Amino acid sequence: MQFRGQSVKENIGTSILRVDSRKKIRGEAEYIADWKFDGMLYAKTVRSSKAKAAIISITLPEIPEGYAVIDHRDVPGVNRMRTVVSDHPIFAEKDVQYIGQPILLVVGPDRETLYDLAAQIDIQYREEPALFTLEEAEAHSRVFTDYHYKKADPEKYFHKAERIIEDTFSTGYQEHVYLEPQGMAAEFKGDTLFVYGSMQCPFYVKHALIETLAMPEDNVRVVQTVTGGAFGGKEEFPSLNGCQVAVAAHKTRRPVVMIYDRAEDILCSTKRHPAKIRYKAALDKNDTVVALDIDVLLNAGAYNGLSPVVLQRAIFSATNVYNIEHLNVRGRNFMTNTVPSGAYRGFGAPQTIFGIEMLFHTIALKLGLDPLEYKMRHLLKQGDPTCTGGRVHETVKMPEIIQAAVERSGYYDKLRTNKKFQGIGIALFLHGCGFTGKGESQIRGKIVLQKCRDRVILKVSSVEMGQGAETVLRKIVANTLDLPIANVLCEKIDTGLIPDSGPTVASRTTMIVGGLLHDAALEMRARWDEGTQFEVSKIYEHPDYLSWDDETFRGDAYPVHSWGANVAEVEIDPVSYELTVKRITAVYDVGVPIDERALIGQMQGGIVQGVGWATVELMESEGGKLKQGNLTDYKIPTSMDVPDIACYFISNPYEFGPFGAKCAGELPFVGAPPAVAAAVSNAMGCAIRDLPITPEKLMETGHDH
Amino acid sequence: MIIEFRLNHEKRTIDIDPSARMLDVLRDDFGLTSVKEGCGEGECGACVILVDGRAMNSCILPAGAVCGKSVVTLEGFKHTKRYRAIENGFLKAGSVQCGFCTPGFVMATESLLNENPHPTDEEIKDGLSGNLCRCTGYNMIIQGVRLAIKEGEGLW
Amino acid sequence: MVNGFRPRTLREALQILSANNCTVMAGGTDLMVQRARGFSIRPDFDRPLVFIEPLEELKHSVRENGTLHLGPCMTLSDLLRHPAVPDPLKEIIGMMASPPTRNMATLGGNICNASPAGDTLPWLYAMNAKLKLQSAEKERIVAIEDFITGPKKTILQSDELLTGILVPDTRFHLNRYRKLGQRKGMSLTKASFLGMAEISGNTVTDIRIALGSVAPRIVRAAEIERSMLGRYVGDINAAAAVITERYQPLITPIDDARSTAMYRKKVSLDLIRQFLETLSGSPGTGTKSE
Repeated sequence: MQFRGQSVKENIGTSILRVDSRKKIRGEAEYIADWKFDGMLYAKTVRSSKAKAAIISITLPEIPEGYAVIDHRDVPGVNRMRTVVSDHPIFAEKDVQYIGQPILLVVGPDRETLYDLAAQIDIQYREEPALFTLEEAEAHSRVFTDYHYKKADPEKYFHKAERIIEDTFSTGYQEHVYLEPQGMAAEFKGDTLFVYGSMQCPFYVKHALIETLAMPEDNVRVVQTVTGGAFGGKEEFPSLNGCQVAVAAHKTRRPVVMIYDRAEDILCSTKRHPAKIRYKAALDKNDTVVALDIDVLLNAGAYNGLSPVVLQRAIFSATNVYNIEHLNVRGRNFMTNTVPSGAYRGFGAPQTIFGIEMLFHTIALKLGLDPLEYKMRHLLKQGDPTCTGGRVHETVKMPEIIQAAVERSGYYDKLRTNKKFQGIGIALFLHGCGFTGKGESQIRGKIVLQKCRDRVILKVSSVEMGQGAETVLRKIVANTLDLPIANVLCEKIDTGLIPDSGPTVASRTTMIVGGLLHDAALEMRARWDEGTQFEVSKIYEHPDYLSWDDETFRGDAYPVHSWGANVAEVEIDPVSYELTVKRITAVYDVGVPIDERALIGQMQGGIVQGVGWATVELMESEGGKLKQGNLTDYKIPTSMDVPDIACYFISNPYEFGPFGAKCAGELPFVGAPPAVAAAVSNAMGCAIRDLPITPEKLMETGHDH
Repeated sequence: MIIEFRLNHEKRTIDIDPSARMLDVLRDDFGLTSVKEGCGEGECGACVILVDGRAMNSCILPAGAVCGKSVVTLEGFKHTKRYRAIENGFLKAGSVQCGFCTPGFVMATESLLNENPHPTDEEIKDGLSGNLCRCTGYNMIIQGVRLAIKEGEGLW
Repeated sequence: MVNGFRPRTLREALQILSANNCTVMAGGTDLMVQRARGFSIRPDFDRPLVFIEPLEELKHSVRENGTLHLGPCMTLSDLLRHPAVPDPLKEIIGMMASPPTRNMATLGGNICNASPAGDTLPWLYAMNAKLKLQSAEKERIVAIEDFITGPKKTILQSDELLTGILVPDTRFHLNRYRKLGQRKGMSLTKASFLGMAEISGNTVTDIRIALGSVAPRIVRAAEIERSMLGRYVGDINAAAAVITERYQPLITPIDDARSTAMYRKKVSLDLIRQFLETLSGSPGTGTKSE
């Protein structure tokens, strides 16, 4: 079998300078807050101060000339944000379901006047009993989504198990802290609405606008501005604030700009779903896990939004790299009166992979076995059935990956020689590449390559948001066509100029969109002499050996997976329980790297975000209010907090990926947290069941021992 | 209040509320948009500028405090040899991803090297600890600073 | 729109304060955050601002006749560079905030903000620092523990400025400082411990313990310290748990966004006990060090 691109270039992985770096270093990249529009108005959102209440009355102060108030009555179309479940009102109508829910906008030319006007708006509520935690929501069966799937015959194996082990693990909120807060702008040019802003998915925003503004598709254009980080936080959310500014521009017929400050951003933007995962494992006489019962609970917040698909990835990743013969998996999204949870790097998988890694770790310790050897007994191999009864189609190089991680980190030596309060731990993990289930075949991403004499323009809707998409996609085309990268350009991200190649999510950009570009470039290469100007377009076709049933959750949930192993080394202060992550040794199989430096940047950044979630990033909600509402209280790692990181790649070309590439962006996030937790467990001699691992919690756990 | 100061080496006089945040004065009144607002409370460093050669968070710097001082933003700094060394270091090391934090890191690097031209790794980490980056995990920024030091030997 | 004053001399500043109801602005790093309102909006000030940070008279540090005079308008970075500033204070300051903030924040600001988490306060309490408060008419000198009356509360009058920080130039052979933050870089303090001791011939001749962020004010107990004077370090070691127990009622932390009361209390007490137990291994005791 020959993988795509093998004939073209061997040195695709060699690093090149990022195409967008210089402008950004010079401070010349224009983010939405840097844009100016003639006659522009600013917008300030008035939000609910109650977690659950009926709105009884809204009393406005006198609104000066040139200022306006925008609420749900101004929405020309559907007052709901379009997403997987279109349940979030653009503006609240009769009730509010969480603190921070948008009720109305005040718009006008002077920002300070807006703040003053907003402060004078008097909203009377009738408060209603609210639910805040997963426990409360479960007790009241406040379920948004309830999924279930089964493999083989778990009941029978639980019945005849030698031993049954039960355990529960939980993880907390995580805030994205993209450095650029959310911001959107809207203006009408004639009959056409233009919406600009910081986003991952221009066509999501476009489709939301069409429904909310009740406008014809041809009259709506969405333009992505330079985006200062996203990590999932700008996947669905910009559809909400995008619709709000568009309604305001529609009413005032003036350009309207809305930029959040950090406190407002944290208050109302989506977060990683807090999770609780219950396991029941049936062991046979050799101590092998033969059946697992997994119950995944996610806190979706006040609206379901795209939480159903987060839950799908969570439950389809629930057995991680292990082959468990008999399975009973349930996943539920619970409704609470808290800020909605949403997309965040890893998309539900980090929660369940943390859970199962710690489950295997804990079982091994209980049995007096080496955790790594115990895990390796259960490893998936090529040809094995996946948890959803599909197949592991690709070559699985986990044994090589594990060997590299163990050798490079000196794992077993350190395991022996570490003193108390020093720990080392290993985590194994995978990430399903691209959309879950039928996602890719439903979206059917399109791309266009346009030849203009010696130049080629690539037209895609995959955005540059910091991850290096523009560099990598241009590089794929340039290498395929043997052109200098300067001759391959990206069309501006404007839905009026580009086809819908799908959203910039699910680690799908390089593998899926890059794959289409690679195909198109190969065709263009063959037809190069046909003319000075012509186009080649491609539409994604799901490989026909893959099957999926959305009703029964049977089949190949993902076309292929990227794999990895992380070894973490930690030290804990015996008095203060302060945790230092000293070193992470990371080995990955992402197929073939397209650009090694860009890839290492993704890996290191993902590891540090994962370490942050596992250690310092504590966010708690109390009575529906976030206790950590700014960057003074919510801490992400600084330069002084990061471990030494060494990354290694095991080449494993994927037949359907460009140059053999698979997915990469989310993978590093998934692996670091369970590795850190395993290391802390090793250092403290106790089980770790809850993230983040704060000194406060360690003090209590340490006491128990 | 009338405030006289030097901005990117030019003498400026403005009549302004002295409590105004320098960040807003630079962005709104002077159009210097390399200065970014990431947090508004001195936590993220995206708004770092140089005041008399030292890094400061312009989001918590009142305009009245810059009287008689020299303020330099990236717009004023990017024409220098020192800047060029930092730019090359950052380019080669892959220090930039989304770029929103980058101007602040450039200015913090200048402030650090101005005071300590040969910092150890620990000193680089401390020198950049007021600047948050969510994309890179910092190691490639630290590497960028090391390359800048090498290329800019003698400039600081 | 508020007005602003930019006095050129201390005298001028004091006159402005006596004639107007003003807000004093030094580095601004606390005040500007407390009064911030939102994206691209001026902070919320209702009184004219007096900018005192440039006053040269308040930026000097000298050691004179056994007293260290620290200038209230020196920034934290100024102090880090200054030869007269003792190392233990430099160690504390080096762990405060981040370089851009240290370049702005002043020592006087840290004192007048009177936060229980103010990082220089445990050292100033432990050193028996005195503060000079001046108005156009009079001046007074008060002990730092009398100056701060509660969280964010001081006895400073609206016409007064903190114009001097006087610290007895006492040296300790043993200095131990621990700051507990949410992370390593740029963190507000969850709890801090400062222990200083002087030991001669296995006997404690001076000992000071101060704790930050674990009570409405800095915790320092002169009586408990006195009870240790003149005792053999071995005795202190043996009695460490009992002595530590005496701190128990003084440590009354809260739960907040950054930590829990239980954690703060336990770790503070453990740090005290550990400090007392290791006195016997410190210089001046002639025993093997830890």
